[in-house]
Amino acid sequence: MKKIKFSSVYLVLVFIILYIPIFYLIFYSFNQGGNMNHFTGFTWAHYQELFSDKRMLVIVLDTFLIAILSSLFATIIGTFGALGIAGRKSQRTKSALLTLNNVLMVSPDVIIGASFLILFSALGIGLGFGSVLLSHIAFSIPIVVLLVLPKVNELDPALLNAAQDLGATNWQTFSRVIVPYITPGIFSGFFMAFTYSLDDFAVTFFVTGNGFTTLSVEIYSRARQGISLEINALSAVMFLFSLLLVVGYYFVNRYSHSRRQKQRRHAKSEVTLS
Amino acid sequence: MAAPIIELQGITKTYDDGFTALSNINMTIEPGKFYSLLGPSGSGKTTILRLIAGFTNASSGAILFEGQKINDLPANQRKVNTVFQNYALFPHLDVFENVAFGLNLQKRPKAEIKKRVLDALKLVQLPGYANREISELSGGQQQRVAIARAIVNEPKVLLLDEPLSALDMKLRQDMQYELRELQQRLKITFIFVTHDQEEALAMSDEIFVVNDGKILQSGTPVDIYDEPINHFVANFIGESNILPGEMLADYQVEFVGKTFECADAGMKPNEKVEVVLRPEDLDVTTAEQGKLVVTVDTQLFRGDHFEIIGIDDDGNEWLIHSTNPVRGGKHIGLTFEPEDIHVMRFGEKEADFDARLEQYEED
Repeated sequence: MKKIKFSSVYLVLVFIILYIPIFYLIFYSFNQGGNMNHFTGFTWAHYQELFSDKRMLVIVLDTFLIAILSSLFATIIGTFGALGIAGRKSQRTKSALLTLNNVLMVSPDVIIGASFLILFSALGIGLGFGSVLLSHIAFSIPIVVLLVLPKVNELDPALLNAAQDLGATNWQTFSRVIVPYITPGIFSGFFMAFTYSLDDFAVTFFVTGNGFTTLSVEIYSRARQGISLEINALSAVMFLFSLLLVVGYYFVNRYSHSRRQKQRRHAKSEVTLS
Repeated sequence: MAAPIIELQGITKTYDDGFTALSNINMTIEPGKFYSLLGPSGSGKTTILRLIAGFTNASSGAILFEGQKINDLPANQRKVNTVFQNYALFPHLDVFENVAFGLNLQKRPKAEIKKRVLDALKLVQLPGYANREISELSGGQQQRVAIARAIVNEPKVLLLDEPLSALDMKLRQDMQYELRELQQRLKITFIFVTHDQEEALAMSDEIFVVNDGKILQSGTPVDIYDEPINHFVANFIGESNILPGEMLADYQVEFVGKTFECADAGMKPNEKVEVVLRPEDLDVTTAEQGKLVVTVDTQLFRGDHFEIIGIDDDGNEWLIHSTNPVRGGKHIGLTFEPEDIHVMRFGEKEADFDARLEQYEED
């Protein structure tokens, strides 16, 4: 009999512990009884309730709108930020700027949220969609900078010289050489900013006003009022959605990776032929 | 002499930290010739190339292109193209798109671009590679694409920054022939930066020897090999035996305690000089017939010749290239002709050196 290794047992155990709460939640979203104590029978009722809850659907759409818009703006601003940091000549300025960027990454959301609230009220900006969007853009920028910067640093300056040498203006060098080269970094920055915005609670909690709310804030306030299994249904849908995202990302990655490998094999066979 | 296509006049390049990369560089480049900038790494040869390409600015001095000062002309408006050391091909574009990059920027008609790109690829012997990805190519093939990408724009001057240094020995030699042939076919000026003296000697019409940000000597490969101006050039170009000596009179030089007839003149009597003897100019003979007698220390077979190191009675080391190995006795004699001796003065400037050479060769 094959001996079961301790390390694999450990891994399985860790993952079970990590996933049990989620599956517990999803399991009870099908419960006929209105609570999570006893499973009395299977039903889709909570899902029906969810999809007929107009308010909830508007909030879901708003949340996605905020996520898409904020990550889009953050990606544009952050990419230029990364290019700016990489373009500094002095190593000292570079690391100073990068440190300032990283401080924003690690500082607690609560502090960032509170500071935004103070800022917005000082400037007289009303709380609502605009304030949430602005704060999401702001806390996403450092993430984008962090993910784009390695790609910018990887860029061989000789490529820029080559473009100029072939007659490219600064703008043409930027649009035809720099951007295509750092695109993978821009994409991962965008997706990371998107997920950060989607699941942000702390910052949003401070800056949503009365009229406007996002999913995480709404779920929190509903959960405080008492347990409704509609939340479970929503969680199940969201979980499924993120699962699809991850699987999709995996396949996109694998596709491009295998394409690259095929090319490499190609190149190798050529060398042996010549 | 044709009108120069590029001239550097008194070029000096000093960096912010005070480091002087180039000092008072004067160069005249004529159209249609193959030039080499030869020097060890850090000598400033690549900086000269970058100045001509427009990637860096001179601190003082003038760069002229066809008589026009181009110091402030940005790189993208200069009629020169560069082949970079690591090729600098765009990894996100395929071979065709890389070569077409310059023509696309000029917004040429599609049909013309296609024709010129395919012609350029044929010229560098890569027909049928148009749709390959850059990552699919070997080093030598990438090298060719880089050359095609530059020459497709029909530059008046092609700058090559150590383009062969990343290739293996065999491929490098093949590419030397191909580059030379290409230059003669296209009749455009090549300025080739290299630290490999064999490469420079084999390919160039004219060589500039650069060291410490100065041009030490310029001339044809044969001139520079036969008449190196100083210790550095003699040592850097080819192998040599360099000995301290004294010029007794015109055509008479003394070294290792003996007086020899030589072919150099125009120096002060009893001037201290250095004497160069190339290892292939030394012929091995018997100890009795030799002008010099050395004891064989080591002997290595190098394939096309034997490399012998001998030591004379004064302890000087002699490097000898001989087609035949030394057999028997350890004492051998060395002979050489008066023309094989080349005398170098200390601290002589290139202009004075050329003037002196001309003066006594006329006599």
